[in-house]
Amino acid sequence: MSNRLIQGKTFLLGDDVNTDINCSSKYLPGKDSEFVSTVAFDKLVPGFAQNINSNGGGIIVAGKHFGINSSREQAIHVLHIMKVQCILAPSFGRQFFRNAINNGLPIIECDTSNFKAGQELSIDLNQGAISIPSGETISFTPLPKEILKIIELGGLLNFITKHPDWNFAA
Amino acid sequence: MGKIMGKTISEKILAKHAKKESVSAGEVVVCDVDFAMVTDTRASNTIKMMNKLEKSALKFTQNTALVLDHYSPPPHPEAAEIHQKMRQFSDQANTHLYDIGDGICHQVLPEGGHLTSGDLVVGTDTHSVTYGAFNAFGTGIEGSDVATVMASGKLWFRVPESVKIDLSGELQPGVWAKDITLYMLGKYKAEGLNYLAIEYGGTAVTKMDIDDRMTLCNHAAELGAKAAILEADQKTIDWLSQHGAKTPQPVFADQDAHYLFKDHLNVSELAPQVARKHHVDDVVGTDQIDRQAIQFALIGTCTNGRLDDIRQAAHILKGKKLAKGVRMIVTPASRQIYLAALREGLIEILTSAGASFEAAGCGTCVGITNHLVPGDSETVISTANRNFKGRLSNDAADIWLGSAATVAASALTGFITDPRQVVGGTWRNV
Repeated sequence: MSNRLIQGKTFLLGDDVNTDINCSSKYLPGKDSEFVSTVAFDKLVPGFAQNINSNGGGIIVAGKHFGINSSREQAIHVLHIMKVQCILAPSFGRQFFRNAINNGLPIIECDTSNFKAGQELSIDLNQGAISIPSGETISFTPLPKEILKIIELGGLLNFITKHPDWNFAA
Repeated sequence: MGKIMGKTISEKILAKHAKKESVSAGEVVVCDVDFAMVTDTRASNTIKMMNKLEKSALKFTQNTALVLDHYSPPPHPEAAEIHQKMRQFSDQANTHLYDIGDGICHQVLPEGGHLTSGDLVVGTDTHSVTYGAFNAFGTGIEGSDVATVMASGKLWFRVPESVKIDLSGELQPGVWAKDITLYMLGKYKAEGLNYLAIEYGGTAVTKMDIDDRMTLCNHAAELGAKAAILEADQKTIDWLSQHGAKTPQPVFADQDAHYLFKDHLNVSELAPQVARKHHVDDVVGTDQIDRQAIQFALIGTCTNGRLDDIRQAAHILKGKKLAKGVRMIVTPASRQIYLAALREGLIEILTSAGASFEAAGCGTCVGITNHLVPGDSETVISTANRNFKGRLSNDAADIWLGSAATVAASALTGFITDPRQVVGGTWRNV
């Protein structure tokens, strides 16, 4: 497996972020993902979408239950358009967690209370290590290798197209 | 080699479907899926995902149902177009299809005999946990997942940790499974059991009929649960047999199964519960509510739109009239329930009392059909499972949640009312 590194700047969000409300068109009838990507999370942090878009993407660091209630894969499509590279949170809504994996968006469960906005992080998904600018390394439990494989291939449909036999070791 | 540790119901069902001797919480497994369901809210995305795979890859569509329930009947041309696409897709791919008015996915799947004890069932809706009432592992998924199941018959799962909740004692007349689930939401809070599989058991569950058991499992979605599973007993097996399901293969947990934790509630002293406006986990007993007026009463949804719920309402409202200014809408969870209520005379009782009936579907739950919108500053009492601000298309209205008995009693008095105050006696098994 490739030793994939994610490098990017942190953008902070709080607890219980509902991605149906803040990152989908469920309550914006007729609007597409491109539009949602320009206003996502603005109700929680004004200017959030603009900040992350003008930075050319970044790493979202959030509080507990990120993606609560969310059953919409569209949230992940919007996050991809925003070039979100990874999301760190102590816990995720379970459907969001699943959708992120199935659409190739790395997510990490870890204590996020000590991160600051605008930190440049370097994340090793396979080793479970986050390097912060002070030189310190924060470790987390890596995702199971099967899940890492699906993410690495860009999502479940890519995986199943390449491996119709579900062989994770290939 | 040491002895393999005892296993939970979830671990056993997932192990069987992964063709493994045993699996443990945290492990990722690939399982054969017995049945998959797609609702009209997620159908566009699912069809989009299907189109990313080769059409020839659709090998397992005969174990898939498309259900037109959320937009039933369709409120705008866009919804009608989704329904057209679903009918077309179903014809081409040879899936099952449940059309407008046939009912809510979580009702028509069991009624249609599509699942049995020991099965693994997935659906594009968080309340797919309902199937646990039949000792099946049911869980919510999305379009990529369903497309994958239709193509390969399989799906990946992370085996969840389980918690065991023993419900001892016996519910008092007028208190129902809804009150237990609301109490649990008050205790553990929304998403408080995130990722986990709940195993409910105990005498109170044994005494429940199937309708109430479905409520118990259904509402676990608000706790964040990945599954909520009961043991199968004779009631389960009889019900499944009556509905043409495959032979049940009941799965029981081992005595020494590992649970993240165990909890216990004696339900004998439990009073009817309500969730106050906006928050599903802001739960109190009806005895703590001081003259809270209501204007709109709703009975229906996948949580409480079943025959026993309509019976509770009819028992309370027989020969009576709704309080002045109160409107009441009843949406049976399926066409079969509608017909059963018709045969029992329940529709005449409730319609005479002032209630209106609507086509079976999800309409009472979420304001996407736009045909039961409450007015500004009005208060709704509903049997639904969610009550956040704006759920019924008006941010200026409040939604409270309770059992069908509590909703009917409140519609009768015009205030949130303990159903035991308006009917006495033994009404559980009349």
